[in-house]
Amino acid sequence: MEPIERITASFTEHLREHGRYPESVYLFCQGLGIEEKAFFSEFGSFEAVEAGLWEDLVSRVILAVESGAEWTSFSARQRLLTFHFAFLEEALSWRSLMLSRFGATGPFARPAWMRGFEARFKAFASGIVAKGVESGEIADRGRLTPLYPEALYFHLRSVIDFYLKDDSKRFERTDAFVEKSAAVAFDVIRTQALDSAVDLARFLVPRPHACKG
Amino acid sequence: MIEQDSIATTRFSRSAALVGSGAKVGANYLKYYARRVLSLGADEQALHEENAEEVFRTFSRLKGGPLKLAQMLSIDRDLLPPAYARQFAQAHYSAPPLSYPLVIRTFRREFGCEPQGIFSAFSRQAAHSASIGQVHRAVKDGKEFAVKVQYPGVADSLRSDLRVIKPIALQILGLRQQDVEDYFQEVETRLIEETNYALELQRSIELSRSSSHLEHVRFPVYYPRFSSARILTMDWVAGVPLDRFADSSTSAAARDRIGQSLWNFYSHQIHSLKVFHADPHPGNFLVKDDELWVLDFGCTKTITDDFHRKQFAFLDPNLVASPARLEAAMEDLDFLLPGDGPAERQKMIALFERSVELLARPFREGYCDFGESTLMSEIYEMGEENRRDETLRTLRGRRGSADSIYVNRAYFGLYSLLSRLRARVEVSLPDWLTAGAREFSATGAG
Repeated sequence: MEPIERITASFTEHLREHGRYPESVYLFCQGLGIEEKAFFSEFGSFEAVEAGLWEDLVSRVILAVESGAEWTSFSARQRLLTFHFAFLEEALSWRSLMLSRFGATGPFARPAWMRGFEARFKAFASGIVAKGVESGEIADRGRLTPLYPEALYFHLRSVIDFYLKDDSKRFERTDAFVEKSAAVAFDVIRTQALDSAVDLARFLVPRPHACKG
Repeated sequence: MIEQDSIATTRFSRSAALVGSGAKVGANYLKYYARRVLSLGADEQALHEENAEEVFRTFSRLKGGPLKLAQMLSIDRDLLPPAYARQFAQAHYSAPPLSYPLVIRTFRREFGCEPQGIFSAFSRQAAHSASIGQVHRAVKDGKEFAVKVQYPGVADSLRSDLRVIKPIALQILGLRQQDVEDYFQEVETRLIEETNYALELQRSIELSRSSSHLEHVRFPVYYPRFSSARILTMDWVAGVPLDRFADSSTSAAARDRIGQSLWNFYSHQIHSLKVFHADPHPGNFLVKDDELWVLDFGCTKTITDDFHRKQFAFLDPNLVASPARLEAAMEDLDFLLPGDGPAERQKMIALFERSVELLARPFREGYCDFGESTLMSEIYEMGEENRRDETLRTLRGRRGSADSIYVNRAYFGLYSLLSRLRARVEVSLPDWLTAGAREFSATGAG
């Protein structure tokens, strides 16, 4: 095994068992029988190791769904749903760790270790949005359109949140939540709802001269 | 059809949707009273139409329990004002499908592979939808299959739905909870059973085997190796749904033959097997090459010999003629309760004589021409009168056995289907009853 894989595997195991980072890079490397230098030539911190862990997870799911036989014939909405169901399937093997990591942060928090996960998903979501704009499922709103991946990321975070709190058999309620919430997400970005919301927001934001008071 | 990806999920949102419907029904009543006060000529019918639509919209959005209940109510038409019954009858066909990725997910969970791993072709769109599942068309080795896939979490949310819907249903029907508790219990049990596809598979196989000798009655073959708790696979039957067949320009002889097959099928199940298909709505029967195909054994009811004897004692032509025996039979079935005063007894007996006269009429006459007969309209009329009858509503206590619900539902559904078919059917009394009746006339007791 390459040092980078050994570091990741051992770190993941530690995180799963203890729910927190090892005490120091030095101690961690001692346990692994490698030099500290070897660690820092791959990662700048434990956060970076963890970031890689979650980024890998979402990458695996994306790769799996994109190589599915029917993927190219799916609509944007079907693609998003397929991703979510595959993600939830993968999440079954990570539920405990997700509970201690994602469960402890709110859906709006963006800790450093989640950045790779977020970036990878958003890149994927941009592809879905592009596909949706092309097929007419998603309305192109010029400069607003780049915000859609952002919205889809919050949707993913809310699905994770729901999943971690779900105690139904085989987490079937999460499945239903995905169906329902994806419908809402697509309704919002397809129809005028977002335009209206933006319009309302612009109306409510105080104008410069009004602020002078 | 637009795919519905929005089954109201959390208990809260489901409850909210139902309460929303209740509130709108209430608002419609307010409008009605306002109009009446202002003498704007509000008619009760229009009110029912508005409410029915509202309630139906809510029910069908929630799928699962409420939709099933709506279907049941549409069959027990005598329980409902006609406007509701009409709206709810749509429930048979109009539940929107779930998304294809979720179907794939269900397949992966149940069989560890995508539909394409089992079938060479699999339709992305549902061919048609049922209240707790949807049917996809699939092909393997040149053979066509119907694959029923269950909605996720249906079994889970069913109980809470019924809890929520109960008070609303009671209000619509004007009934008291303690009097119909058994009824709801029975319905809940059947509905929960219906979410168990493994049980449905087993019953489908058993019932189609034990009815296979019936002429012109056919069943699809079921495939255990392509079935699981959430997926049920059977032959694809390219037939015409019974209601469309009935409304088509087909000959009277063909309609009579299908009607007779239907009648024989139910007689055999109820009187010989004592296990029966308790979901007789037109979507569950297809006609192909002049034969009746029976689908969907999700809702079946088993009755005991003892209950069967009590329930069908009313088919005995001599019973109505003998007040003492009629009352004894009614007590047997708990239609008369020990605490009843003379007026209550009288009321129940009168009601009973009338229903027995109606429901057993085909048996008494030896045939029934459902095209000519006023039987159905008389049954509706009686139902409507009973529904409006204030004294009947105030009768205390649980009347009748909960087991009767599905027997009545089966017969009522059967009569409805036969009326739709305008079929003439030959009716014979079950053997055990004719033997009993002969014995009875011979001894001259009564």
